[in-house]
Parts: sequence; structure tokens; C-alpha cells
Amino acid sequence: MSKLLNSIAGWGVNIAIAMTALRTNLMRSILTTLGVMIGVFAVILAVAVGNGAQVSVTQQIATLGSNMAIVVPQPDSGSGPPRSTDRGRLTERDGRAILRQVSGVSAVAPQIRSSVQLVTPGRSATTQATGATPEYGIVSNVTASEGRFLTDGDVGAAARVVVIGQTVADKLFADANPVGETVRINRVPFKVIGLLESKGSNLGNDNDDQIVVPITTLRQRLQTTAMQGPDDVTLLFVGFEDEDSLFTGQQEIKRMLRDRYRVPKGRISPFTVRTTTEIAETTGQVTQIFQAVLVAIASISLLVGGIGIMNIMLVSVTERTREIGLRMALGAKRSDIRNQFLVEAAVLCVIGGAIGLTLAVLAAAIFQQVADFPAPVGLDTAIMSVAFSAVIGIIFGGYPAIRASRLSPIEALRSE
Amino acid sequence: MTAPLLETHDLVKDYVIGGEVLHAVNGVSLTIKRGEFVAIMGASGSGKSTFMNMIGCLDVPTSGTLLLDGIDTKTLDSDALAEIRNRKIGFVFQQFNLLARTSALDNVAVPLIYAGLGYTERRERAQAKLEAMGLGNRLQNTPAKLSGGQQQRVAIARALVTDPLMLLADEPTGALDTQTSLDIMGIFQKLNDEGITLIVVTHEPDIAEYAERRIIFRDGRVIEDAAVKSRRRAVAG
Ligand SMILES: Nc1ncnc2c1ncn2[C@@H]1O[C@H](COP(=O)(O)OP(=O)(O)O)[C@@H](O)[C@H]1O
Ligand SMILES: [Mg+2]
Repeated sequence: MSKLLNSIAGWGVNIAIAMTALRTNLMRSILTTLGVMIGVFAVILAVAVGNGAQVSVTQQIATLGSNMAIVVPQPDSGSGPPRSTDRGRLTERDGRAILRQVSGVSAVAPQIRSSVQLVTPGRSATTQATGATPEYGIVSNVTASEGRFLTDGDVGAAARVVVIGQTVADKLFADANPVGETVRINRVPFKVIGLLESKGSNLGNDNDDQIVVPITTLRQRLQTTAMQGPDDVTLLFVGFEDEDSLFTGQQEIKRMLRDRYRVPKGRISPFTVRTTTEIAETTGQVTQIFQAVLVAIASISLLVGGIGIMNIMLVSVTERTREIGLRMALGAKRSDIRNQFLVEAAVLCVIGGAIGLTLAVLAAAIFQQVADFPAPVGLDTAIMSVAFSAVIGIIFGGYPAIRASRLSPIEALRSE
Repeated sequence: MTAPLLETHDLVKDYVIGGEVLHAVNGVSLTIKRGEFVAIMGASGSGKSTFMNMIGCLDVPTSGTLLLDGIDTKTLDSDALAEIRNRKIGFVFQQFNLLARTSALDNVAVPLIYAGLGYTERRERAQAKLEAMGLGNRLQNTPAKLSGGQQQRVAIARALVTDPLMLLADEPTGALDTQTSLDIMGIFQKLNDEGITLIVVTHEPDIAEYAERRIIFRDGRVIEDAAVKSRRRAVAG
């Protein structure tokens, strides 16, 4: 017990000796600490940004809706770009067939996407218009926070009505309530019937910068790119009852579309059917790689900081060889000398780590405010990084410390 | 019968310089008893310092035997030697070797750190030794704020703080003026009267006369070892 107390007291003394030595060469200590500080700062920020990207991606995918498959008339290119020559057709009739024939399908939302220009007196905005049916609201969780969403009546009558996103509303109507107002879309007057519930933004992608109009209206009045047939759509959202039916349904849809369009065996299907689960997985992998690369780069700067520590500790040992000899003459054991320099390196690193951590937390908060991007610094990251910097100190301070402790007392004492 | 404090048998230290072997200490056998006050003299390069470093366990002999307090130092590892330096030996150097920018009190307390003493006890003991050296009003002074004589007294307080058996001083007055040198020798005599063993290297014959035994080195060997005939006593004060 008293031995333990003594050894704790011994470390206390080492810390005191280290602090004195570091204070004696204050400028040098600060510059050395700076290296570790920047390293820890970079690592923590990289982890935080990586975490933020993951959170953001997860949120982004959640805004798509869960248990949903997306069907587009393009061959599945994996992660590469699609070849437009192989583009197939996709129609509302295909959508109805899917709803009828594939088991577990709760709703199908056919959509046409088109870029449009909106004008109100004195203001204008460019955004993406989705021509949709009421099913769009059900499948991808879109509702109106003010006014109402599309109805079957709107679609049947090809009514000139529009539901606008918050960002579009801000641009066109500022603070005024847009519901009931008129807006010209590609010169055609539309009545605003609702405001889309805000879904925020993720990874710089503003989910509120869009408008929804009846699919029939878009086809008749707003379509800019020509479709091959009157029934053609850009894509289908297929909602499923649960995750199991989503999984089997994906395969069923693929098979069904091959049959409907008589794609010969061995030919690549001109349709891609992706589930939200798959999208989440691939993007999750991409962000993980992104995070790993970030952290790897940041770690290099921490490594450089550690080498800086080693360099300074070697200089310190050389400069203080005579002091080491004196301490040995006065009874210091090799382990005492080793610990003294180890503690010195560890103190440098822990101070650098703590400052780096503080700055990283601040930077992450500022980043979050300015870039509207989550960068959470967890307690685990904080503890890990400070512990990590202490380990850096012990590893890179270890060699100089052991070198100091191996000096012969008389040779050390005789050095100038 | 207790063993003599220090016993050497045929102690040798060789240095190899440019392929040539130099016998810095070339077969020294002598015995020093508890409570003796020994002066070591000899020309520069005669091996005095080399001998002192070996008996102080700072350096290892090339051959021969060194018995300290009856223990053969060859059998000891570096930790045990460190402990001997800490507990049994006090060093006083020509250049004082105090830690710069460190108070007298903290300088004196350094050996007690390695003895494993707690903070309060370290301070109390260090303060007592400094007061005994007449430096009770200089506890917080750094070396730069002390005269040479004062610095050497701080160094003596540091050498004494673990209550060692012997004090080894290699030219302790070499950097001091005559009067201060005599003061230091007075302190040594007083300490010797209190029972501590002293081995002092000097090349000044009148300084050596404060000791009771004088050993003369030449070319790494002892050429004379005799009692001091007309021993000087320091004037009190
Ligand atoms: N580390 C060393 N390497 C080589 N030669 C040394 C070393 N230390 C001392 N010597 C040589 O050993 C001899 C004795 O030196 P030293 O013991 O310092 O003499 P003194 O203290 O009597 O002046 C001298 O010739 C000196 O040059
Ligand atoms: Mg000498």
C-alpha cells in the first residue's frame, strides 16, 4: 500500500519535474505541442465529419420513405454511369400491373420529373417539378403542412394546382402564406394549394427545393423533354407493406418487367429496381470509405506531431545530459530518468491533445452552424483522442527516454 | 568487527585512446575507515578523479575489487548502485552542479525524491540542512542569486541531506577564492568531527593540511599515504 502511494507520489514528482523543464523552454514546448494539437484536431474533426456524413446519409434515405423500391427505365449500371442508348420505357400501365401482380405492394407512385421556372410578381425561382399522384404522398411520406396535398380529383381534371416546398415558398412569397396564391410555372398560371412539410437538407441537398403538381397537368402543360408515349413516366416509387415483401417484390418486379418488354434471355434488362435498403447500404459504404480516407489523412498529421515530439525530446535529452548525470549521481535509478522524460513527452501530448480536442469541438459546432452539416463529437471520440495522444507521447517519447536512462552516470556528468 | 567503509584491491581503470591503452588508475589498493578525513593529492592527470568516480559508484573499474561498507560493488546492478549513491554517498563537485532556475530548497531536496520521501518531509529535511549550512535565509534563492561559496554550501547541504556515510568532494574549492575555500574546509572539519567520512581531492597543499590523512597519486598509482603531521584547524566562524 505504502509502496503504491510512493509510486503515485513519484509520478507526481515526475510531473513537477516535467512541468519545470517544459516551462524553462516555453516557446519550444508550445511549438511542439502545436504539432500534436493540430494532429488531434484533424483526427477528431475527420471522425466528426465522417460521422456527420453517415448521419446525413441515413437521414436523406429516410426522407425517401422506408420499404420502397424505385424503378427507373435504365439498365442497372452498378455504380457506373448509365448508358443512355439502352434507355427503356416505363409507363403508368407498368405501375398498375406491378400493383396488381406483385405481392405485398401497398401503393405505386408514378412520377415525371422536369425542371421548371416559377414566377410571381417581382420574384422568380427555378426548381424541380414532380408530376405525381396522391400515392406519391403515401409512398414517400410527403404531406402538406399548410393547405392540402394532391387528390385524385386534381389528377383526373389535370388541374393547375401546385404544392410547393418551403425553400420555393421563401423565394417566391417571402414570409407571406403562399396557400391560395397564384404562381406562373413556365408561364402557365397555377394555384398554390399547399405547402410541403419541411424535410430539411442533407449533404448540401435541399429537400425543400421542389414542387409537386398533378402528373396529368405536368404532362400536358409543363413537360420540356419529349416522352415516347402519352403514358410514359420518369420513374415509379413502389411502396411495400413490410421489409420481407420488399425483398421478394424487388425480384418479382424485375422478372415482370423483363416479361412485359420481352427482353431476351441473356440480354441486360433496361430497367433498374433499387430498394431503399440497398441505397442505404451502398451510400453507407461510400461514406465509410470517405470517413476512412479522411481519418487516414488526419492521422498522418498526428504522426508528424508525434515525430515532432520525438525530435524535441531527443534534443532535450542531449541538452540535459549533464542534468541526467547529476540526477544519477544523486540516486536516480534508470527507471526514474526514463519516467521523467516519458512524463515530459506525455504532458506535452496530453496538453496538445486537450487543446486540439477543444478546438475540434468548437470547429465542429461552427461547421454545423455555417454548413448546416452535422459533425457530432462524441464522448468516446474525445476520450479516445486524448488517450491516443498520450500513447503517441509514450511511443515517441519512449525512445529518447530510454536513451537517456541508458547513459552512464559518469559520462553524462562529464558532458558539456 | 565491522568492515572498513571502503576497501580497494588492485583497482584499475583503463581508457583506450586511438588504439593505445591508458591506465588512468593503475592498481590502487587502500582502505579507508569510518570517520577518516582523507585528502587526495597529485598532479593533474594522475588519476584522482577517475579513482573518486569509481569509489563513488559513478564509474565501473576495468579490474580489481571495490568493497563499499563490506559489499563487493561488482555484484550490484544499476538500481542497487543508484541506491548506494543515494543513501551512502554524498557528492560535492568543483562546479557545484546545482540545477539552474531551481531554488536552493528544491536543489537540496532532489536526492530525497529518489529516496522516495513525500513532499513535506523532503522540504523539512532540506530546510534543516540548509539552515545548518547557514543558509536559512536563502531557501528560495536560485543558484544565479547566490555567491560561489553559498552555492557550494547548498551543494554540501544536498550531499548531506540523505545522511550518507561518506562525502566525496573532487576539488570542491577549485572554483573558490582562498577565504571561501578555508570556510568550506572548516565546514568539512566540523562535519568530520560529527562522524562523517570525508574524501577530498585537492591540489593545494595547505587545503590538504585540514585533513588527517594525505594520499598522493602519480600516474594512476599511490606514491605516498601518510598522516598529516601538522594538521590545521579551521578558525571558528
Ligand atoms: N573518459 C576518458 N576517456 C579517456 N581518457 C580519460 C577519460 N577520463 C580521464 N582520462 C584520462 O585519464 C587520466 C586521469 O584523469 P583524471 O582521473 O581526470 O586525473 P586527475 O583528476 O588526477 O586530474 C588522464 O590522462 C585523463 O586524460
Ligand atoms: Mg580531476
